[in-house]
Amino acid sequence: MWLRGLVKRFEANVAVTGVDLDVPAGSFYGLLGPNGAGKTTTLSMAVGLLRPDAGQARVLGYDVWSDPAAAKKLLGVLPDGVRMFDRLSGAELLAYHGLLRGMDAPVVDQRARELLDVLELGTQNRTLVVDYSAGMKKKIGLACALLHGPRLLVLDEPFEAVDPVSAALIRDILQRYVSGGGTVVFSSHVMEVVERLCSHVAIMAAGAIRLHGTLASVRGERSLEDVFVQVVGGRTATGSELAWL
Amino acid sequence: MVVAFVRLKLRLTANALRGQGWRVALFVIGVLLGIGFAVGGYLGFAAPGLLDDARAARLVLTLAGAGIVLSWLFLPLVFFGVDESLDPARFALLPLTRRTLISGLFAAALVGVPAVATLVATFGMVDTAARLGGLGAGLVELVGVGLGLLLCVAVSRSVISAFATALRSRRARDMATVLLAMLAALLGPLQLLVLAGAAQADWDRVADVAAVVSWTPLGAPYSMGMEVADGRAWAVPVKLVIVLAAIGGLLWWWSATLERAMLGTASAGHSGGAARAGTPVSQLVFRWLPRTRFGALTAREARYWWRESRRRAGLVTFAVVGIFLPAALSLTGDSGGGMLLLIGPLAAVSLANQLGYDGSAYAANVVAGVPGRVELQSRVAGYAIFMVPLLVVIAIVVGVFDGHPAEIPSRLGTLAAAFGAGLAVVLPVSVRAAYALPDTANPFALSSGGGTAKGLLTFVSLLATVVGTIPIVVAAYLLGDAWLWIGLPVGLAYGIGGYLLGAYIGGDLLDHRMPEVLAAVTPNR
Repeated sequence: MWLRGLVKRFEANVAVTGVDLDVPAGSFYGLLGPNGAGKTTTLSMAVGLLRPDAGQARVLGYDVWSDPAAAKKLLGVLPDGVRMFDRLSGAELLAYHGLLRGMDAPVVDQRARELLDVLELGTQNRTLVVDYSAGMKKKIGLACALLHGPRLLVLDEPFEAVDPVSAALIRDILQRYVSGGGTVVFSSHVMEVVERLCSHVAIMAAGAIRLHGTLASVRGERSLEDVFVQVVGGRTATGSELAWL
Repeated sequence: MVVAFVRLKLRLTANALRGQGWRVALFVIGVLLGIGFAVGGYLGFAAPGLLDDARAARLVLTLAGAGIVLSWLFLPLVFFGVDESLDPARFALLPLTRRTLISGLFAAALVGVPAVATLVATFGMVDTAARLGGLGAGLVELVGVGLGLLLCVAVSRSVISAFATALRSRRARDMATVLLAMLAALLGPLQLLVLAGAAQADWDRVADVAAVVSWTPLGAPYSMGMEVADGRAWAVPVKLVIVLAAIGGLLWWWSATLERAMLGTASAGHSGGAARAGTPVSQLVFRWLPRTRFGALTAREARYWWRESRRRAGLVTFAVVGIFLPAALSLTGDSGGGMLLLIGPLAAVSLANQLGYDGSAYAANVVAGVPGRVELQSRVAGYAIFMVPLLVVIAIVVGVFDGHPAEIPSRLGTLAAAFGAGLAVVLPVSVRAAYALPDTANPFALSSGGGTAKGLLTFVSLLATVVGTIPIVVAAYLLGDAWLWIGLPVGLAYGIGGYLLGAYIGGDLLDHRMPEVLAAVTPNR
């Protein structure tokens, strides 16, 4: 994934002020940032969900905005805060996504069954996705993103509201996917997950990339959390404020 | 405290308009319509006084007043959707007593175009009462009009709140939506029957009805002034008690249901259900649909028309209106045939905000890069699975009730032409003017603020469609008997042409606007 000078304004405020980002193929890339840093906006522009005011986004060489069909074929996306077609059951939703991607029905059937089985969503479960728990929704969303075998996975907050067991499962699947040659970009503000998984990280604040590189070069001798707080410019409690607590 | 609620409402309205040119325009049109209603209503209600006709005054003030209260109850339910900008659930965490909350929400509901327009229109009643009965009658009527407005707002708020509460759990809601939509849709035909009855009855009987209505809470506030004019001042305190008791009762009911409304959705997750055999694809796609992108989209769309309560409510409302309205019309002696010209477009207008129903879920189609034309064609196909059989039934029912079974095929042609012309208008509109529906559990919440304006958009597309059907009407008129034979093929061809045109233009538009459409249909972003 290759981003150059992405800018997005919402009415008065500028959400993203010129993001440049190179995600090497085969990397496990973590996009870190506090709430409101512009992570979701950046990723939305990178996958073709939100038209940028300026800048370019390419996926494996294809421009997302001038050649969307080719780029979207190679792309799997798990958006955050976006509803799914949740009046379908899990199996129906997967079948829908598969056919929407132009896959053959037998392939869709086989892969959908496998995904439902591995993610422990139940192949014969007729519960509508609207009645799923938050963790199950994330898992079925991930399954939809994986179904067509994309080369690049873009995940927005994949570990938000997921219980530890499901999180471990998702981590395993993603690690296998990367070792099989895929590329993963995901946003998060959970340091432990990023430290454990990622080969590369970028730290975003106030709509711009502040620091990026391999995990080792960004972290140096300190913990990722210290680097993050320093880059973002957060304050540390001194003990004198909120004395009434 | 009450002031804070009113200011919050005004602030929300202003913020919704900020920096959105077309919303401002729609809002202005809504205000103009409100002014039109206010002025027209004022003149209408003042007319009996100007004409010095006391009998007419008694009838008009009582019956029209009752009509206003009833329309406050039903119009939001049926047409405009409930204004959810001050959703009680959002106040659940604040330390407010129930009394403060009710009075605040009540005051906020009074601030708005419909309330002000109603008040101004009903001032015409004060005019009439003052002219016929002097200053005293005018003052009493002024009080009555004020109370009448409070009654209107109390009725609409409390009943809607009660419905919304009863419908919180998804299963119950899905069932109740259907029943309610049916009930609401039946109102129109019933009204027609009443009107037909009224046309035959003599005025004395109408006066009797008015006399009775004037003692119910519906007519009591508006008939006070005329009681003074007629020299029955003793009736005023009695009617005051009736109205105040009604308002008090409604507010009490509202506060009772509000508590439950604030608790939000109790999601009764039903588990499992009967396991149906079959592969994922065969669970989604019907056997007779191709297993392609088109098939998947069509199947999903068809399931959504049935599974999503908002859409199902629309479908059921249409079915009831479409079948009963022409039937009722033909029973009263008119020809129901003309109604078909309205029903065809009405069927198409349900698709005017088809992408808005999806909300942010539409992102899945954007990410997959579905071509615009496939998207629109499959949506029409999914809708047609329900709509085409329904239209056939309507044509047959109307023909039979009308006593012209021979005209059924040609009427089917007219219906198809009108439906197709509707699609030609509605498909591009659904892309160009998609708007977000609120993310709430209330099936009647179709708009978040500025509801009048959005209802207007629907109305304009309806009008444009009717205009688009004119060629067929003219052809049918000119051809006379020959139309009976060629009506069906010509109408079908016209309809299919309209549909193809709409899908062509709309699909092209959608190809260029996918992210913009997604942003437009995503709530609160």
